Amino acid sequence: MSLAFDILLAFGVVFTAAAALGTHDRVASIAGFVVTGLLVALSLVRLGAPDVALAEAAIGAGLTGALLLRSAWRLKPAESRVSPAIDRIIVALIAVCLSGALAWAVYTAPGAALYPALVSERLAESGVTNPVTAVLLNFRAWDTLLEIAVLFVALILVRIVAPAHPQPVVLGELMLPFARIVVPMCAFLAGHLLWQGASVPGGAFQAGAILAGGLLVLMLGGFAVLTPRLLSWGMMVALLGLAVFAVAALSTEALTGTLLLYPDGAAKIWILMIEAVLTLSIAAMLCLLFCGMPRRPLNDV
Amino acid sequence: MTSELIYICAGSGLVGLAFYRLATCRDMLLRVLSLNVLAVGIAILFLASARNAGMTDAVPQAFILTGIVVLVAVTAALLALAEQIDSQRDE
Amino acid sequence: MTTVLQVVGLTLTTFGVSFLLIAALGVWRLPDVLSRLHALTKADSAGLALIALGAACLKGRPDSLLVLGLCVVLVALSGVTIGHLIARAHLSEGDLE
Repeated sequence: MSLAFDILLAFGVVFTAAAALGTHDRVASIAGFVVTGLLVALSLVRLGAPDVALAEAAIGAGLTGALLLRSAWRLKPAESRVSPAIDRIIVALIAVCLSGALAWAVYTAPGAALYPALVSERLAESGVTNPVTAVLLNFRAWDTLLEIAVLFVALILVRIVAPAHPQPVVLGELMLPFARIVVPMCAFLAGHLLWQGASVPGGAFQAGAILAGGLLVLMLGGFAVLTPRLLSWGMMVALLGLAVFAVAALSTEALTGTLLLYPDGAAKIWILMIEAVLTLSIAAMLCLLFCGMPRRPLNDV
Repeated sequence: MTSELIYICAGSGLVGLAFYRLATCRDMLLRVLSLNVLAVGIAILFLASARNAGMTDAVPQAFILTGIVVLVAVTAALLALAEQIDSQRDE
Repeated sequence: MTTVLQVVGLTLTTFGVSFLLIAALGVWRLPDVLSRLHALTKADSAGLALIALGAACLKGRPDSLLVLGLCVVLVALSGVTIGHLIARAHLSEGDLE
């Protein structure tokens, strides 16, 4: 029974991806991509990774889909020059070989699982009971710190290169009641995900993505206009996450002599503090990445 | 083990499809989209290989979670660059 | 008691799935945007509500009703708003032509 479900789901993933990649209509392609993302999230749940599934549904399908749709009416389509048939056949052959080799390599790879034993052995001292959160914020917190730095660098890049665009049109009278219910609900859900991330699937990234969704409803509905003042506040909040994380890393270095090794017994407090700031900062960053930041001339900064 | 095999096939299928599209398409938006599909396929492959006796390893899960967040930043940066190239071409 | 709940849950889920199927058929076969929207918005919310109710019956615990209810409310809300937005965009496009 569950095998039939797996087969159907895997077929659905590949089929929707093929539909998304096979069409020349951009909006249809993006819609197919979002559906693929949601089906992939479901298959990640089947693969026993609900944390990743939450992030894929919120960020991979939702926010990326929104980003692509935003750019679909800004970017002019390329002149549709079809590559010659012989090229396409060669590329298709290479692609088939590539995916065959990849499947064979992954399937036959010797599975000497090293990490599960290590993680479960040290889980008790990590301060949280969800192993994924323990890896992200304790065992390999260094990676997460660098990840936030990468997000911030991407934000600065967007800030520098993105051309200015006119504000979107006002979206009609149903947006106000929608925002009134959805935005508080997003804030509530983000808090819930953040808190439960310590023990069950959830955490700062998922919570930040949901909060960013709520902020985008405000922006796109025209309830919050991105004035220079608001923009600089947003940048401050975005920087805050990186700053707090870096300060935490340095103070753990001072307290325990090792970078990002939390003091004994206080790991839970440290993780929760860092995650709470990260949630706000990730929400601000994702929202600003979407808004693209209207550039203004240098003299009125 | 069979269900892992199914997902391995799906993941490598996604990688192949995305690779084909990436190589044959000239539209910048669709290229960015194919890149995203490629990343999703690799995520599925990675997690399917991380499964062991009904449990999924937490370390690859954390890697993929990091990867998804970095990917959305990369997507936004690529789209901003594409928009800039487009507006330069106009002038 | 459990078997009664299971039968009720399965029946509700089947009804819900068939609603969604009809909605998909409508989106596929109907000729223009507004009638497709008509098929989609109604059957979508109804189908999802039935599936959620069925799932709650199958789960057999009252607290799952809360989460599933939240899902249904959010999807219905966004369905209404998105339906409105698409129809609005469609009509304003028609005005331009």
